[in-house]
Amino acid sequence: MDRPTLDELLEAVAEFLEREVLPALTDPRLRFQTLVALNALGIARRQVALGEDLEAEERRALTELLGEEGEVDALLTSLALRIRQGHAPPGTFAYLKAHVVRKLKVANPKYLERYP
Amino acid sequence: MKEVLEATLRDLLGPGEVVRLQRLPGGASKEAWAVDYRTGDALHPLFLRRAAGGVIYRGTLSLATEFRILKLAQAHAVRVPEPLAYLPDMEGREAFLMRRLEGESIGTRVVRRPEYAKAREQLPLAMAEELAKIHTIPLEKVSFLPAPEAHPWRTALETAYEDLDALEEPHPALEWGLRWLQDHPPRERPLVLVHGDFRVGNLLVDEEGLVAVLDWEFAHLGDPREDLAWPLVRAWRFGEDAKRLGGVGEVGPFLERYNALTGQDFGEKELFWWEVLGNVRWGLGALKQARRHLNGEERSVELAVLGRLAAEMEYEVLYLLESYG
Repeated sequence: MDRPTLDELLEAVAEFLEREVLPALTDPRLRFQTLVALNALGIARRQVALGEDLEAEERRALTELLGEEGEVDALLTSLALRIRQGHAPPGTFAYLKAHVVRKLKVANPKYLERYP
Repeated sequence: MKEVLEATLRDLLGPGEVVRLQRLPGGASKEAWAVDYRTGDALHPLFLRRAAGGVIYRGTLSLATEFRILKLAQAHAVRVPEPLAYLPDMEGREAFLMRRLEGESIGTRVVRRPEYAKAREQLPLAMAEELAKIHTIPLEKVSFLPAPEAHPWRTALETAYEDLDALEEPHPALEWGLRWLQDHPPRERPLVLVHGDFRVGNLLVDEEGLVAVLDWEFAHLGDPREDLAWPLVRAWRFGEDAKRLGGVGEVGPFLERYNALTGQDFGEKELFWWEVLGNVRWGLGALKQARRHLNGEERSVELAVLGRLAAEMEYEVLYLLESYG
């Protein structure tokens, strides 16, 4: 694919919103929604940068925890069911923390700094 | 709408004119309008809540019932905006009028801005006092509310599982939280009238302190600890994480004051179950909000992003359970 890359395109849109749109807005609701849109672009950019590695990590961790191979979504569904039935495999809690941390590395990495 | 309002207000406040009628942002299920009514030299700032065309959420009260509860709360000296009139047919939809009060209800501002420093000092005790008043309203006065079929904690868990299943997306961290809640049931307490969304973002505050308790649409008969623990949910601290009570103060003095006024004996530990539940619930709430965007019910980038931010609540649930040991 030609440049700009996916990340460079998202970066261009974010720059436009931040430098040109945001300063021109006086309506507080529109300002807030624009900041949220910038946040959404940030999530997308982190997913572009980290998504593949995190997905591979997720699959490895799930395979190890469940002793099953498969797509991440199917494995997560299987784990969710086992927890609900009270048959969570040993090591589930540690896995869950790492699993949620992986999601937060994309969604809001700063959130993790708020914990001791 | 102006004519209908003027006809109602003439009887209530005397002959006059509606000089402002402005739809306020927000409120997908209920519309909010600022109304100013002039009678001679007096200007009456009013607030109109009107049913919206859209979906009514499960557990949301009708405006008729919400108005009744507001009247009842006012009669028991709870600080609320004065309810003025219920209008069964405001151009085809139900609505009610109340007086509009001055103050701040945006949570992040209340917990951060220097002008509310004094208010923050007073809020923990004021919150306890208002909850004590709400929870001691005699039950026979709220016989119009449906009686729960099971103990509130059981109903809460069933509803949470239904919400989780409706997402059709695996959330093992929320499953873990729900499983823990099921395995550690709280002791059962007598029912009280519960506000249902008692947190700093639903309080009107000025520089002196608490002005009014807002947003009664989730009121129901339930467990008093549900209201006591809801402002402890981390998201409702608006970033002031160290102040466990709603980002404004400590839980101890709040609970002490509440116990002294109600004769209860709740300890901080006893709020833990409800705090975990609250975080699970808001995690599910965020995911449900994102679905409203995704299924086209209300397209909004703000709702969309909540689908990714639910992971914050999942992390908090795990953090709480880890600290419990």
